[in-house]
Amino acid sequence: MKIEKSKTQSERKMWLWLCISINLGFLGIFKYYNFFATSFAELLQGFGLSASPILLKLILPVGISFYTFHGLSYIIDIYYKRIKSEKNFVDYSLFVSYFPLLVAGPIERATHLLPQIKVRRKFKFEKAKEGIYQIVWGLVKKVVIADSCAIYANEIFDNYSTMNSLSLILGAIYFSFQIYGDFSGYSDIALGTSKLFGIDLLKNFNYPYFSRDIAEFWRRWHISLSSWFRDYLYIPLGGSKGNKLFQVRNTFIIFLVSGFWHGANWTFIVWGLINALYFLPLLLLNRNRKNVDAFTLGFNIESIRILFNITTTFAITALAWIFFRSKTITDAYNYIIRMFSDLHFSEQYFRIERYSHNLIALILVFILIEWNNRHKIEPISGKYSWLKLGLCLAAILALGVFSDYKEFIYFQF
Amino acid sequence: MKQFIQFLFKGLAILILTMILLDVLYTTVYMQSKSRNKISYIFSSKDKDFDVVFLGSSRVNNHFVPKIFNDQGYKTFNFGITRSRLEESALMLKLMVENNYKIENLILQVDLNINTNDHSEAIRSLFMPYFHTSKTIRNHYKSIPEYNKLLYIPFYRYLHYDTRVGFREFYQTAIQKRTNSLDRDGFYPLMTDKRPMVAADLSKYYPKRNKAYEEIKAICKANNINLIAMTTPMCMETINRDYFNHINKVYPEIRRFENLVTEDKYFSTCGHMNKCGAEKFTKEVFNLLFKPKSKP
Repeated sequence: MKIEKSKTQSERKMWLWLCISINLGFLGIFKYYNFFATSFAELLQGFGLSASPILLKLILPVGISFYTFHGLSYIIDIYYKRIKSEKNFVDYSLFVSYFPLLVAGPIERATHLLPQIKVRRKFKFEKAKEGIYQIVWGLVKKVVIADSCAIYANEIFDNYSTMNSLSLILGAIYFSFQIYGDFSGYSDIALGTSKLFGIDLLKNFNYPYFSRDIAEFWRRWHISLSSWFRDYLYIPLGGSKGNKLFQVRNTFIIFLVSGFWHGANWTFIVWGLINALYFLPLLLLNRNRKNVDAFTLGFNIESIRILFNITTTFAITALAWIFFRSKTITDAYNYIIRMFSDLHFSEQYFRIERYSHNLIALILVFILIEWNNRHKIEPISGKYSWLKLGLCLAAILALGVFSDYKEFIYFQF
Repeated sequence: MKQFIQFLFKGLAILILTMILLDVLYTTVYMQSKSRNKISYIFSSKDKDFDVVFLGSSRVNNHFVPKIFNDQGYKTFNFGITRSRLEESALMLKLMVENNYKIENLILQVDLNINTNDHSEAIRSLFMPYFHTSKTIRNHYKSIPEYNKLLYIPFYRYLHYDTRVGFREFYQTAIQKRTNSLDRDGFYPLMTDKRPMVAADLSKYYPKRNKAYEEIKAICKANNINLIAMTTPMCMETINRDYFNHINKVYPEIRRFENLVTEDKYFSTCGHMNKCGAEKFTKEVFNLLFKPKSKP
């Protein structure tokens, strides 16, 4: 409200930065303080100086990165006069702490969510039904795909030094599907739950593993975060205006901050850096907006090229995920080195007393279902919806992982 | 809203129907299985006659060679299951009795497993397909917290114990994929020696009175089975071998055979003998407790 009531631009700016500092201050103390303190101490040690940093023993509040960004979007939108400040404290509180998106997003915008909260909503059967279908499909992604992949991905990543090349490649693929099923599954459940209350949340995923290049991947993966960074960081930094060097700088800032947003660990920062490096050639060759249109496949050369591009994009994404999943950069580095140097491709029997070929079949079926329904939000609605609902429920019951429950990965962020 | 409630009820009906159908399907498949594991073998066999039956954990499964007994005219089978505790051994014995097994001698491993009264979740899982069919199994698990859910919620048992009796095992059972658990009359030899051998640490172990062991004693007494409870060998590097001395303070009748095999060359790991060790140990036990029978 202070931003809105300010009479001069400098006063507005002062309130804006104060609000941003308070929001980021909480995030910084809870999430990043220890990281900076230990990194600084390690840096001093590198120069031969000794330092014993005071570390905080704080429990990280669940979803702090998400609601900090909700709050920031609200403040920045008021500053840019996109919305008016909210006078009703209950409505504002609901916007910041709306339960479906509190712990793992999607990161909502005040311009999108607040108007929906303020209007009187009427129950709509079709919307609620759509919500239920989306929840069920989200559960399939989480319980069947993500948790099944997690069993094998954990086994492979935790024992990578005893794994052969084939297992390490599969480990990266399994983790790629684990994180996708886990996070997009959560988003589907959040969006579906919200639909029951008549509120539409921002779409967070749009079949990202069917992307033809890394730029398209980032337009389809964690959309609410990518677009947040685009609107509140990239564009204020100058965006794609200016010379190439300026654009490259902005791109690297976005990806590094995006990596750092995920957690106070160098592995996330390197993951962001790798994605920036993937993005660089597209930016330099002005091809980052090349694949924005929809595509269809047929029996022609163009389709082969598209499939090749999709596979390549998935492969480099999976390679980057190795850094995201590994505990340290050294682990990730050793994992990749071993993957390319071991060169044994026999199927390994894991210590968890199983081979993993059944999981490959499950992932292929999942890819097929997603591919056939890539123009819809979820695959259940439409013809034979009751049958498809029954099959999804059967899949959850029969193929889901229940005794080895895994928390949603993004709860930690 | 009315339409939505109807929709939810239909969805719920589909869910319940799916659970019932899956329960029936899984149970039917598991009922057909006779040889996937030792529990399915016991469950599907009746009126068996054994001179000696071995029960216990991997320290039975990998340590007793029935062939050595069988070559001397005995009929024996190794029912030891890796990871099982005495609670599961007790239930296996109950099922044998229920299925009219005639057992003369029961060799029961009682050593590390009386450190706890706990159960093995992995082995408990294997009984679950027979939960509705067998009153013995139901009675055995009457006091566990999930009992009502296991009994009344269709498919719950397969969800709760999905690691061992979930889709993977269901599928393997359906295609009748064979396992080696019944080969060599139930004996599973360890062929590789893990070196350097890591010493087992029993410093936190302490023998306690064990409900399942006492239940086994009672069953044996009631059914005229000669119970031979014994310890089995562990490598000499084991930390706190004094644990074995304490066993006799709790149960004096337990025979002490942990020193019957001592050389490292007979051990695959500190707690498990290799094939040669198992053969040497079985021969020693046989010579100490049994006499060769004249073959028919």
